[in-house]
Amino acid sequence: MSFRQRSPHSGGCGSESSSPQHPARWSQGRKRGADGKRRKQNDSDSSIFDDENKYGSSDNRLDSFTTPEGPGPFSRCSDWGSVVEEDEMRTNVNKEIARYKRKLLINEFARERKSSSGSSDSKESTVTVELETDEVVLMRRQKQINYGKNTIAYDRYIKEVPRCHRVPGVHPRTPNKFKKYSRRSWDQQIRLWKVALHSWDPPAEEGSDLQAITPVDLGEMETESIGSNSTESQASSQDNYDTFSGTPTKVRHVDYQVEGEFDLEACLNEPLKDFSTVS
Amino acid sequence: VCGTDGIISFPADPSSVDLEKVANIIVDQSLKDCVFSKEAGRICYTIIQAESKQVGQSIFRRSLLNRLQQEYKDREELRARSPQAWICYVTFICNIFDYLRVNNMPMMALVNPVYECLFRLAQPDSLKKEEEVDCLVLQLHRIGEQLEKMNSQPMDELFSLLRDGFLLEEGLSSLSQLLLLEIIEFRAADWKMTDAAQKYYYSEVTD
Repeated sequence: MSFRQRSPHSGGCGSESSSPQHPARWSQGRKRGADGKRRKQNDSDSSIFDDENKYGSSDNRLDSFTTPEGPGPFSRCSDWGSVVEEDEMRTNVNKEIARYKRKLLINEFARERKSSSGSSDSKESTVTVELETDEVVLMRRQKQINYGKNTIAYDRYIKEVPRCHRVPGVHPRTPNKFKKYSRRSWDQQIRLWKVALHSWDPPAEEGSDLQAITPVDLGEMETESIGSNSTESQASSQDNYDTFSGTPTKVRHVDYQVEGEFDLEACLNEPLKDFSTVS
Repeated sequence: VCGTDGIISFPADPSSVDLEKVANIIVDQSLKDCVFSKEAGRICYTIIQAESKQVGQSIFRRSLLNRLQQEYKDREELRARSPQAWICYVTFICNIFDYLRVNNMPMMALVNPVYECLFRLAQPDSLKKEEEVDCLVLQLHRIGEQLEKMNSQPMDELFSLLRDGFLLEEGLSSLSQLLLLEIIEFRAADWKMTDAAQKYYYSEVTD
């Protein structure tokens, strides 16, 4: 039994409702004719879910099935693998945002208690921070973060520098997807973060061809340029970009000695600016 | 590479695991072996968890689901070509639905396809075949309640088909009729086995 390779550019991705390739199959054809008699059996497109009169509404169409008019803003791919991954990311993001909000509330509460000694003025209390709650944005940002974390460099980084030992401004920090930033600002933060992570790329002698190739970031971003590491091939072009082309395969880990020192100079040469004030 | 005759040969480097291949092997086997397909969901779940925890990826799950989807698209041909493989397929996809969860919820993407498969089994031509009726009621016992929770309207429609089938269709074997009656009552009792039903349907059954 042959298995057709699922190409990232299969017809369903990015297609509009006029695409013949990937209609929601269960929304085509009719199971029963107007007389109630069943239609011919060999109509493989027939589905019980197409007759909207029967069910009264299109509510049976699950939102996770991206029908052409559906609310799925993220992708038009209707392959199950992608749909499930998206659902998983969505529920994860929702869990995270709930957790983050709780964390903020706890911090706020703790701070208010400290400054409740009468003379508290507005400088002491927490500035109300508007959070990013748009699911589409959060999921896009999470994807970008995943690309950065799914690298050998990141693995080495977190092994080498535990979170408690991180020095702000020196050690790269994952951008906070819940904060409000403009698209440009966010994309730039991601870019700089990933560039900073490259300081932890495995050294060239250990087999540079095994370095993970990071795909281009989402959307209209220009291809990021990697200055120093000439062995890494950045073969990406944004035209190729497909939201659901497989997550970058983490290359098999080569046995390596954790180096005692990282390239501090490189790190310092790429400072992470705080973009929270940039509009 | 898994040949069409089912002979599996492994690539030269045995230390690398091609999870996409593994997914295909499992699906292939499930279509041949109904006993396997009944529990293959558990194996798949284990592999998915392992892949997720160890490398933070979901290549296996993606390959599995997409292969499942491909077979689903060609299910009429599958049923025509091999009724046994068709039954195995339905058993398998229902088992996957049962075991594979996303953040503790069943996969939404599978709800409609599973319903479609069950509806197919509830068609008159399928009801006339005992193996298909048997498959249908087995799946409903295993996942009916969950499926109904995800989307209840199709379940009503499905059961109305089953009642029609039970009452109106000729050519149903008495075993098929019994199976249908039992599942209709089972659902009516909120997907639970009542004492009366137990007595009626199962007290005469010899092991």
